[in-house]
Amino acid sequence: MTASSLEIRDLSVSYATPRGRLQALREVNFKVPEGGITGIVGESGCGKSALISAIIQLLAPNAQIDSGSVLLGGENLLELDAAQMRGFRGERISAVFQDPMTSLNPVLTIGRQLQDIQHRSRASSEEKRALSLKMLARVGIPDAEQQLKRFPHHLSGGMRQRVAFAMALMTEPSLLIADEPTTALDAPLEVQIIHRLQELQRDFGCTILFISHHLGVIAELCDQVVVMYAGEVVESGSTRDIFHRPAHPYTRRLLECDPARIGQRTASLPVIQGSLPDLVELPPGCIFADRCSETIDRCFNKHPRLGGIQHRAACHLAGDVK
Amino acid sequence: MSALLSVRDLRVRYPLDGGLASLFDRESASHVDVAHGVSLEIERGETIAIVGESGSGKTTLAMAICGLAPVLGGEVCFNGELLETGKNRRLLPDRKRVALMFQDPVGSLSPRMTVGKLLAEPFHIHPGFSDNPNRSAPDLLALVGRGEEFADRYPHQLSGGQARRVSVARALALEPELLIADEPTAGLDVSIQGEVLNLLSQPQKKMGLGIMIITHNLNIVRHVADRMAIMYLGRFIEQGDAQLVLDRPRHPYTAALLSANPKPDPDAQIDRIELRSEVPSLLQRPAGCEFHPRCPYAREQCGNSFPETSKTGQSRTFNCFYPLG
Amino acid sequence: MSAIQGTLSQTFSQLKKDPPGMTGLVVVTVIILVTLLAGIIAPYDPLEVDVYDRLSSPSAEHWLGTDQLGRDVLSRVLLGGQIALKVSLVAISVSMAIGLALGMLAGYGPRWLDQVLVITFDTLRSSPTIMFALAIVAITGPSLNTVIAVIIITSIPVYGRVVRTQTQALRDRDFIKAEVVMGASTFRILSRHLLPNIAPPLLILASMDVPAVVGMEAGLSFLGLGVSPPAPSWGSILYDGYSYIRNSPWPIIAGGLPLIAVTLGFTFLGESLRDIFDPKLRKKGADS
Repeated sequence: MTASSLEIRDLSVSYATPRGRLQALREVNFKVPEGGITGIVGESGCGKSALISAIIQLLAPNAQIDSGSVLLGGENLLELDAAQMRGFRGERISAVFQDPMTSLNPVLTIGRQLQDIQHRSRASSEEKRALSLKMLARVGIPDAEQQLKRFPHHLSGGMRQRVAFAMALMTEPSLLIADEPTTALDAPLEVQIIHRLQELQRDFGCTILFISHHLGVIAELCDQVVVMYAGEVVESGSTRDIFHRPAHPYTRRLLECDPARIGQRTASLPVIQGSLPDLVELPPGCIFADRCSETIDRCFNKHPRLGGIQHRAACHLAGDVK
Repeated sequence: MSALLSVRDLRVRYPLDGGLASLFDRESASHVDVAHGVSLEIERGETIAIVGESGSGKTTLAMAICGLAPVLGGEVCFNGELLETGKNRRLLPDRKRVALMFQDPVGSLSPRMTVGKLLAEPFHIHPGFSDNPNRSAPDLLALVGRGEEFADRYPHQLSGGQARRVSVARALALEPELLIADEPTAGLDVSIQGEVLNLLSQPQKKMGLGIMIITHNLNIVRHVADRMAIMYLGRFIEQGDAQLVLDRPRHPYTAALLSANPKPDPDAQIDRIELRSEVPSLLQRPAGCEFHPRCPYAREQCGNSFPETSKTGQSRTFNCFYPLG
Repeated sequence: MSAIQGTLSQTFSQLKKDPPGMTGLVVVTVIILVTLLAGIIAPYDPLEVDVYDRLSSPSAEHWLGTDQLGRDVLSRVLLGGQIALKVSLVAISVSMAIGLALGMLAGYGPRWLDQVLVITFDTLRSSPTIMFALAIVAITGPSLNTVIAVIIITSIPVYGRVVRTQTQALRDRDFIKAEVVMGASTFRILSRHLLPNIAPPLLILASMDVPAVVGMEAGLSFLGLGVSPPAPSWGSILYDGYSYIRNSPWPIIAGGLPLIAVTLGFTFLGESLRDIFDPKLRKKGADS
């Protein structure tokens, strides 16, 4: 096992609610190989926020990890104590979120914030400043010297997100979690930023977990894809496998719904009928069964396990499909 | 017969309240032109998509047509009748005939009203439409495919998709002739985007509704729009049949915008037109063609004057000295 | 209205989880009940003078002792409570209603009106209450109505300012614009969309204002600018007791304790309600 690979093993997380325990994540299993970009595709309610907070160990007070492990370079993050975990966050794990305004302090200059994040470093303040300038240039911010003196509200959304990436990569983390970092941006900027992210990944060699519901961005950026639905991994594999040979009906439906994949103009766009299952009282069989159009009896009685080796899918019929 | 909506050279100017700083810095602008001469026509039963990056003035155009933004000049005709401007130079459209769906579906619903009351609201405001506003609400719920159990919920208890459906129901309640939908799919999961768009296209067929969709989601444009208009810094720089524009853009900005759209295919070959820097500030509008500082094909002339509108074929217009083939 | 009942029972169940809030609710309920029933509970006529039994300590006959004229302190405190609550109820509801109307006008109306109202509010607020009261008393003479008038005039700007700011913040929100686009009249927007969003925080502000108003009434009466003797007010009880504090501390204690109880009770309750109604602090109900 290498220093920056991430492996999630049988991770289950639940939340206490007035109606009972809401099982937000159930036996989630996937590997993010070292130095790769793995995308998580999931619509609202798929459990991605529970997953991120379990990885960085910042769970809500009513949340509980029921089982499993989160291995970063072979070390189980769930067994670390609070002080050790603090050392991990920011140093070995960084995160970038959808709205950079929430992670930047509005009353401090960009320069100040870039220096502050190096608080663990013994370098002199000139060296820290030099590193800040270097990082800003690396993420594609023109005129970095000037930008250091500016406040977050002076910058455009795209620039702010670049600053957020500069801050996240400053400590050269092993793992970067990017949670919908381009969702709020316009397409040209989105493309610029994902290309920049690919470059940075090559230069820094860090492992990136990229969460998005934008299938186009996932296809363009990621090597591996994990598809999540209602708190479970339903399919995982290489990007080509997922987009060209989807094995789980949910993945197939999702791809069919993307208007970008429909070449000819249609009068009515496809949708996935039905709604997410109740995560307090789970159905006995497959989690997707009541929205699936290709079910057999077994789908309603027996919960499918994630099968396969490289390309894995949690579907009783996955073997037949291949 | 005249077009449903006809906008001629519309200009929207917001005064800038500079606060204390403006007392010392006389140089700073006292106003900002968000729409800078916009012209468009919408026919009955037609959908036009307005596309552009954030800050291009798409939402302001919608607000101006609905009388929520100060109009500096230009004229707007609805069914051939010139709309008056009232106090603060705001347009006074007939509220029953023009409906607007806001970008933020939850934020545009009154937070202390239940869904049932929110749906009855249009009928209370325009009593001529329904004998019993409270009885009409369930019908509207059914129209957008939701049951009556929904009526007791408050906006903050709705998911994005559910709130969006309520907005659609409210917008269509008074059977408007024109619907302006600002980013109707923003924040929606791919698997339910289609639902909302299909909800809009059904009444369009039935009642000949004209729809103006503001979006930055280029993927849906091909499927929902008959025509499209590309906006840049408060101007339309290209307009025309949606299929034609998507397949053969003439303006370099349109081409760049289209090429920037990531395709959900890992093996897709995309010839990207890289744009320099970001959208300039409206306060520092570049001289000449506003796009020239970012345009990969810009020549000297582009910085000197704004290109006249060129017309090719039916209703296809663009503003560029050196259009793409 | 089941919706209102639902809100009430929900509020109550949340209040139960907050000990200071619950204490506040109990104290406030007791104070209100006792003062409402003061006429029945009071063992003596609060004005009945008994010169042979002056400044007595608490006893079986007089639970809180007697004052310098031999009047029963407990009865005076109870009846004084009626005056205090009457003043706060009348003064707060009138000033809140006027403040609400003016504040919404300032926040939603034309800019010139806003400026006129804000200047008026600020002028009123910048004049010291006591000076203001003295001026009015000089014209009308001290009376309960004078106290109420002074409190109303000085409270209107406070409510007006809060309502104006709230209205301005809400005015540009999408849900108000959505109603404008739908064609709703200004009156409808103000009454059905702005008011329901402004009223809950305002009511909480009002509940936290009760101790201030009770204190103001006591202060004015203490200075002889309020309720005229021999009517019992907590302020005049304190004033009378203050003159004889060397002879007997009981009237001072008896007049001060209810003031403390009202202050703590309404403040605890108000703060707790504010936390419950603040949507940012409120936990979202199970969205099912």
